[in-house]
Amino acid sequence: MRRVGIALALFALALSGGGWSHGLAQLAMVATWALAGLGLVLIVGQTGQLSLGHGAMMAVGAYVQACLVSIGMPSPLALLPAMAAGGLLGLLASLPGRRLGGLAFGMSTLAMALIVEELLVRLVPWTGGAAGRVVPPFVIGPWTLGSPGGQAALSVAMLVLAWLVCRRLIHSRLGRAWRASREDESAAAAIGVSAGAVRQQAFAAGGVLGALAGALSAHWLGYLSPEQFGIGLSFELLMMVFVGGVRAPAGAVLGGLVMVALPQLIATLRGAVPALGSGAAGLELLLFGAVLVLIVLARPAGLAGGGR
Amino acid sequence: MFAQVLLSGIANGCVYGLVALSFVLVFKATETVSFMQGELLMVGAFAAVLLVEGAGWPVLLALPVAVLALFALGALLEAVVLRRALGRPHLTAVLLTFGLGLALRGGVTMVPAATHQLHRLDLPLPGVIAIGPLQVAGAHLAVLVATGLACAALAAFFRFTRAGVALRACSEDPRVAALMGISPSRMHTLAWALGAALAGVAGVLLAPLTLVHPGMGLIALKAFPAAVIGGLSSLPGAIAGGVLVGVIEALSGLYLPEGAKELAVYGLMLLVLLMFPQGLGGRGATR
Repeated sequence: MRRVGIALALFALALSGGGWSHGLAQLAMVATWALAGLGLVLIVGQTGQLSLGHGAMMAVGAYVQACLVSIGMPSPLALLPAMAAGGLLGLLASLPGRRLGGLAFGMSTLAMALIVEELLVRLVPWTGGAAGRVVPPFVIGPWTLGSPGGQAALSVAMLVLAWLVCRRLIHSRLGRAWRASREDESAAAAIGVSAGAVRQQAFAAGGVLGALAGALSAHWLGYLSPEQFGIGLSFELLMMVFVGGVRAPAGAVLGGLVMVALPQLIATLRGAVPALGSGAAGLELLLFGAVLVLIVLARPAGLAGGGR
Repeated sequence: MFAQVLLSGIANGCVYGLVALSFVLVFKATETVSFMQGELLMVGAFAAVLLVEGAGWPVLLALPVAVLALFALGALLEAVVLRRALGRPHLTAVLLTFGLGLALRGGVTMVPAATHQLHRLDLPLPGVIAIGPLQVAGAHLAVLVATGLACAALAAFFRFTRAGVALRACSEDPRVAALMGISPSRMHTLAWALGAALAGVAGVLLAPLTLVHPGMGLIALKAFPAAVIGGLSSLPGAIAGGVLVGVIEALSGLYLPEGAKELAVYGLMLLVLLMFPQGLGGRGATR
C-alpha cells in the first residue's frame, strides 16, 4: 500500500505545475526515462554488474533513429534498426565482461561510453558534430505525433510492452541464469551457466531498451547534440534506478517519476521563493544527492523494494 | 617542445596520481570505490580560494589549512553517513559516495560567488623558471615537488607511525587487527579522512594549473583509469599510473589527430584491463 502511495504522490508531483499539455509532456518524459531504466534493471539488478555507460546506448538509438527518419524511413520502422544498434553496442560493450568482473568491468563500460561520446562529436556527416542535428516528429501512418498527448500515449504504450517483456525475461531460464551469475559466479559455472555469456545477453537486452528510449526521446526533444549524452547521463540513469529500486521493474518507473518530479518540485519552490532563483541548478544536484543518500540508508532496496 | 610537453604531462599526471592515490587508499581500507574524490578535490580548491580571496590569508598558509579542512570534512562525512554502510553490501557505500558527491557539487554550485566569476589561485612563484634550455612553469615545478613530498610523508606515515601501521593491519585483516587492540571503526574514519585530505592536496595543487570551478571534479574521470592501470591495490602503482596517464595524454595531444587525446587514456585502460586484469602494479585484489 505504501508503495502505491509513494508512486501516486510522485506521479501527482511530476505531472503538476502546468496545464494538461504540460502534464502529458512530463508523462512522456517519465515513460522514456523508465524505458531506459528497465534496461538498467536487467543489467545492474539482475546480473549485478555496474554499467557506467547506459547513456551511450540511448545515444546510439537516438542518432540511428534520427539518421534513418531523415532519409525517409517511416518512424515506427526505424525503431527496429535503432534498437538493433543498441543491442549490438550492448554486445560489444560487454565483451570485456568475459574476462573481467565487478569494478574493472564497470570501468570498461565507462570507457565505451566516452568513446561513443567522442565519436558523436567526430562523425559530423551523420551526427552533425557538436552543433547537433534536428529530428523530425514521429509519424505513424496519417498521424503526426507533434503534440504531447500522442507522445505520451506512444511512450506509455512502449513502456507497458517493454515491462511485459522484462517480466517475462526475469522469470525465464535466462533470468534465473542472470541471478545465478550475480549471486555466485563459480556456483553458476558449476551448473553450466557461463557468467560472461549471460552478462552479454543482459547487456544486449539492456542496450535494446536503452536505444528504444533514446530513439523516442530524440523525437520528443526534436534536437540532438552530443552533450545530452555525456557521461553525466549514464550516471543519472544509474542513480535513477537505484533510487527507484534496481531489483524490480517497478523501480525503473518509480525512478523515472523521481527524475521528473524533483526538478518540477524545484520549479514550484522557485515560484514560491524567488530568492532561490540563481541557485536552482545547484539545488537540484543537492536534492538528488540527498535523496540518493537517504534512500540508500533508509530503504536499501530502493523505493520499489522487494524484487528478485 | 617535446620536453616541455612531457613535463606538463608529468605535472598533470601527478595530480591524477594524487587523486588515484586517494581512491586506492580508501579502496584498500574500506573496499569501497569512492565516487566523491573528484568533488572533494573541488571543495579543497574552493576552500583554498575562500581563504585567500575571502579571508585574505597568504597562499602558503591557506593551502595546508584547506587540506586540514578536507581531512575534517572526510572524518565528518564518515561519522554522519558512511559509517552506516559498514556491514552492508559493497554497493551501499559506493552509492553513498555518489550521492554525497552530487550533494557537494550542488552545494558549491548554489553559492553565487562560486559560479558567477572565475577564480584563480596564484602561487608566490615566478611564472617561468629556466633550467638550462628548458622553460619550466613555476606551477608545474611546484606540483612535482609537492607530490614528491606528499608521497614521502604518506610512506613515512604508513611505515613509522602507530596509526599508519594500524591502518595497514586493518586493511589486511580487520578481525585480527581488532584482536590486536586496533579499533576498526576508528581506522574506517581515519581512512576516509586521509582519502579526503589527499583529494584536497590534489585540489590545491590543481588550482594554480587550471581555473577553480564547480565542475573541476570531472578530473576524477582521468584518475579512475590511473588507479585501474596502477592496479587498484597498489599505492605506488596509483602514482605511477597517474603519471603514465598524464604523459600519454600530453604526448597524444602532440602527435595524434585531434580528439585522440581524450580517447588514448581509455584505450590504454581497456588494453591494460584485458591483458593484465590486476593492473600493472597490483597483485590479486581485483574484484
